[in-house]
Amino acid sequence: MSLLRALHAELLKLKRTLAFRVIFVLPFLVALLQFFIVLRTKKFPASFDLWETMGTNSLQIWAVFMMPLLITLETALLNGIEHSDRQWKHIFALPVPRHAVYVSKMIVAQGLIFISTLILSLLVVIVGIIATHLRPELANAGPIPFGWFAKYTVLVWAASWLIIAIHTWVSTRWSGFPIPLGAGIGGTFFALFAASASLGKYYPWLLPMNLFIDGRFKAALVLGIAGGIVATIVGCLEFVRRDVV
Amino acid sequence: MNTPNPLIETRALTRRFGTQLAVDNLNLSVPAGGVYGFLGPNGAGKTTAIRMLLGLIRPNAGEVRLFGQPLLANRYSLMQRVGALVETPSLYPHLTGRENLEVTRRLLGAPRERIDIALETVSLTKDAHRRVREYSLGMRQRLGLALALLNKPDLLILDEPTNGLDPAGIHEMRDLIRHLPGESGMTVFLSSHLLTEVEQIASHIGIIHEGHLLFQGALAELQAKQQTELTVGVKQIDQAIECLEHAGWTVQKRADKLLSVSARSPEDAARVNTLLVDRCFDVFHLALAQASLEDIFLTLTRGQVAAPRTA
Repeated sequence: MSLLRALHAELLKLKRTLAFRVIFVLPFLVALLQFFIVLRTKKFPASFDLWETMGTNSLQIWAVFMMPLLITLETALLNGIEHSDRQWKHIFALPVPRHAVYVSKMIVAQGLIFISTLILSLLVVIVGIIATHLRPELANAGPIPFGWFAKYTVLVWAASWLIIAIHTWVSTRWSGFPIPLGAGIGGTFFALFAASASLGKYYPWLLPMNLFIDGRFKAALVLGIAGGIVATIVGCLEFVRRDVV
Repeated sequence: MNTPNPLIETRALTRRFGTQLAVDNLNLSVPAGGVYGFLGPNGAGKTTAIRMLLGLIRPNAGEVRLFGQPLLANRYSLMQRVGALVETPSLYPHLTGRENLEVTRRLLGAPRERIDIALETVSLTKDAHRRVREYSLGMRQRLGLALALLNKPDLLILDEPTNGLDPAGIHEMRDLIRHLPGESGMTVFLSSHLLTEVEQIASHIGIIHEGHLLFQGALAELQAKQQTELTVGVKQIDQAIECLEHAGWTVQKRADKLLSVSARSPEDAARVNTLLVDRCFDVFHLALAQASLEDIFLTLTRGQVAAPRTA
């Protein structure tokens, strides 16, 4: 009950915020990039599969780069509004369990990341449809694989839970942008190098991308979801005991 | 002060930050009803004590009891009866005044009509649709008070609620607080570093300095500590001293050529005057000086003996 109340309050806080607007902007940028790639390609190979290529490319760019940055930004913004006017002291003095506040923050971040990933998939489908009209050689691209898009939208999102949980804790723990942003940029930067390393299989910021790498699918999903839940519990335990000075 | 069934009670409450002792063995006892002024200079430990009363920080030792129950084991049920404004109000500048109240209302699960009542109480109904970033400091402070009133608390805890306000804002806030106990029967626990600010509205006072409680009791008890001194101006100083001392008064000659007489009341002053006039002394100055509460406050917190001021 208190969790529902906390979620209800969180939704109102999103009104007129950058945190809400940004979930539309980043998927649009990735879809726009796909649009230009298709538009500027001079000759498509005979075996070119429009939907598979576009779907995989865009979701990989999303998984390895844009989504971790979006998570960094979203969690920093969502929790930044509690640091700016020192709202934590007000919230913690209310008869609301702290764990409900923490979990609601995590759920809202997860919800926004899911909506953003869904928007990306929808925009990529739209770009694909436009491409089949602009490039006659792609007219026979076949039916839109809605099932594949739906499946990978959910999987990429689920594999990101651990990143969301880490950033939720970091951004509740430190006010301002430097530390949350540093953690996000650092995490994403190392992910680019960890992809080829064997330990990359377990690297939190690489888990969504690992879904597309042979032999790493299962570990990515299990670590992403289970790791996300465990990290949320651990972060929540610290949050509940935290002094508000 | 031994208060039967105190609303707030702390027992040997202690909190350290590193090696610094912010609150040391604090035993507060706040009676139900009225306004309790929690006074102390900046850095005395007021905010730390208040944060422990609200469960925002944990004490290193001691216990907080609210409404007769230990806070630690009953935080959620007790906080339903408490409203708080700690230092500056915690507001979302991108939301309107009404939306800010709605966020807290949702967290509390309180009925919607409470928002209108709270807005009316703090006279913000007309500005409720405006975004808080457009609010003046005084309006923000009043909205902070409205947030604290939203759950119809039995106990309202306000930490320096007039800090940073202009004189008009201070007056407004003071008026609001003054009327709260009478209108709703709530108890107000109010911290401030200015005695003058709370002596007009508080029924009880607690004075804290360097983490220690120096005084606690009814305002009248503090007022009873006020010392008086009679200063007398006469032309024939030495003869007057002899006359007064002969009559049993203790007299001191001051550097400003006035006499300081050990009189304590207006009646004493009248007796001294009659005595001198009857003996044909030319009395040109007679004043009963009283140490103000501020002087007593300073004496307690600085360990200094303040010079009495003319009443």
